[in-house]
Amino acid sequence: MSMKIRTSRLLFGVASGLALGGLVSGTALAQDQETTVGAGAGEEDAIVIGGSIPMTGVFAFAGLAFNEGMRDFVSWVNEEHGGVNGRKFRYVGQDTGYDVDESVGVFQRITSREDVDFYFGDSTAFSQTINSELNRRDILMTGASFASELNNPEEYPLQFLLGPDYTEQVGILLDYIADEQPGARVAFVHSDTEFGRDPIAASQERAEELGLEVVETLVTPPGASDISGATLSLRRARPDYTIFHGYVLAPIPDFIERSRQMGMETKFMGTYYSMDQTIIDEMGEAADGFMGVMPYRYYYDQEAPDTEILGAIHDMHDEYKPTMYIQAWLAGVLLREIAQETLDAGKELTGSNMRETLDSMENIDTGGIIGVPVTYRGSSIPVGRIYRADMDEGRMVPVSDWIELE
Amino acid sequence: MRIGSPKETYAADEGLFRTRTQWAWFGILLLSLVLFPFLSNLYWLYLVCLISIHVISATGLNILTGYTGQVSLGQAAFMGVGAYTVAWLDNHAATPFVLNLLAAGGVTTVVGMVAGLPSLRVKGLYLAIATIAASFILHFVFLNWESVTGGARGMNIAPPQAFGHELANADTFYWLVMPVTVVMVLLAANLFRTRVGRAFIAIRDRDISASVLGISLPVYKLMSFAIASFYAGIAGGFYAYFFGAINPESFPLLMSIFYLAAVIVGGLGTILGSILGAVFMTLTPELLRYGVDVMEPFVDDASALLSPVRTMVFGLLIVGFLLFEPHGLAEIWRRVRRFFHLWPFRN
Repeated sequence: MSMKIRTSRLLFGVASGLALGGLVSGTALAQDQETTVGAGAGEEDAIVIGGSIPMTGVFAFAGLAFNEGMRDFVSWVNEEHGGVNGRKFRYVGQDTGYDVDESVGVFQRITSREDVDFYFGDSTAFSQTINSELNRRDILMTGASFASELNNPEEYPLQFLLGPDYTEQVGILLDYIADEQPGARVAFVHSDTEFGRDPIAASQERAEELGLEVVETLVTPPGASDISGATLSLRRARPDYTIFHGYVLAPIPDFIERSRQMGMETKFMGTYYSMDQTIIDEMGEAADGFMGVMPYRYYYDQEAPDTEILGAIHDMHDEYKPTMYIQAWLAGVLLREIAQETLDAGKELTGSNMRETLDSMENIDTGGIIGVPVTYRGSSIPVGRIYRADMDEGRMVPVSDWIELE
Repeated sequence: MRIGSPKETYAADEGLFRTRTQWAWFGILLLSLVLFPFLSNLYWLYLVCLISIHVISATGLNILTGYTGQVSLGQAAFMGVGAYTVAWLDNHAATPFVLNLLAAGGVTTVVGMVAGLPSLRVKGLYLAIATIAASFILHFVFLNWESVTGGARGMNIAPPQAFGHELANADTFYWLVMPVTVVMVLLAANLFRTRVGRAFIAIRDRDISASVLGISLPVYKLMSFAIASFYAGIAGGFYAYFFGAINPESFPLLMSIFYLAAVIVGGLGTILGSILGAVFMTLTPELLRYGVDVMEPFVDDASALLSPVRTMVFGLLIVGFLLFEPHGLAEIWRRVRRFFHLWPFRN
């Protein structure tokens, strides 16, 4: 073996050894210094929020916003309110790369070190996978997913959603359409994923019930680039409204542009994850007139008088914060309310106690994040508002009042 | 120090463990595997269960790619077949888990042999593409054969039951997955003491020569696919039980690449390589988390800022191994062992 190879091997060995070995030996040092914000690790009665958060990978745009929102909420609630009944909050969140194996790993990692009271999950698959473990450990969870399946207190007793499930989101859109243009022709375009297929069958039925005509249902791969065939089918169907679901960005802008080029007059609509301002900005000109359902107020929606939370967010940040950031705040605000009521009733903060509290709570004040007081039905809040992208103003403007499904 | 290991019989020459020292170390390994659950928390048990599943699948892939030379990018999809078999049986037949797992292995074996048919005509990159095609077809089936696979929504699987206990968590599941992993790894190691295993190696080294020696290429290539798929099926079955829910997105192409990377980093054509590769690929990103933890006091919001770095370091480590240790982690292990053979008299 030549000297040169031996040297480089040695160097690599030393380097990777240092990289790994150094990190592993740091374990002891790091044992009580998690990725945290809020009350110190030593504080025994802290209310701990754990989180499997996708800070890298395809869902990182949302994960980073969840992370920041949760951190800001915890600093705010500890500083402004001293936590709940003197018990401070602590947030421990770790990256999952939006991979179920890693999400579960992070859950095990955090729960093996911390007495977690409340958890934030990153995907539907994670919610399904971790369900039995939540029940076993009696931990309450919410998170990024709005899957209709999770809106089921019997199967998923310790999980709740931070707004309307996907079926309800489309339901709100359909209610709005039926109101604006009775008997309208509606088309669905959805991705070929679990996320994309979620609300479609139920929404087709719902549309018929509302007297709307479903003229086309198109399926594309997520992020599809070639949609020429699909746009032609859409043109033949001549819908008044086209509802996208199961995408974040692509192929929505392409769809809109091509349809406009073909002279179609359909109005395009989307659901929660395609409705953030940053997504609209990326769509550019195509976004003008794009509508959709949004369960929360946007960062810049300060028209209402009772927006305590939005005020707090504005105090912390001058620049726009995405809706996923607001979503994390909502999780925090709800948790604070739930914890407060549970503790006031003299009960411990176990998952099932907190779930009971949640079920008994009515007209919860979300500090203005949602424009009306909310009550959980099943495990969701079937409330949302229709917004439209106004490119002259460069922002989303509300075009309906808050719509609550019956 | 030992100065030699004379072998007096052919059997001794072929033994997996040739010296007492090796037997002793193997005993220590088994003992530590038995003791591990008592000394560890759920997080590490979870990781070890996950590694075990990866080891089974990587071992299967190593038999096919490392030993027989047939590049496959279908391992994840084959695991999917196993997982769906278990899920279907669990939901519709309520048969015991042992039967379900064996059925998963069986069904996947058949599917793997069909997917391996192109190997009779093509090899190398062409075969890799053919196996990618197979995995896309399987993915399509998972997604669209709704009456069986539950479509995009996927299926839930109840935890396996043994002696009246639910093996729902890593601490109990360990006792199921670990013994099976040990047995399957030993079986794989033993395979290469037989005619079949040697035929695989002959095909890898030069298929024409192998054929001249009287090895039927179609039979042995398909057999290799069958064995690799059986391992994938069992691993997939465990995956389904372990996670309790599967959908078509649980087995992406990226997962096949993960296994191929594990086998290459660990060492192609060595059983130890499959184990070390699976351990490395699963554990390194987790260990790098500690790096993030260590930086926490010095960097505000270290988790958000350093997580991309973690991914990059992991990538660089893989590239580093390919550059400096082309024979994989197994080769490092061998060097370490050689060093200690004559230690302290030679260094």
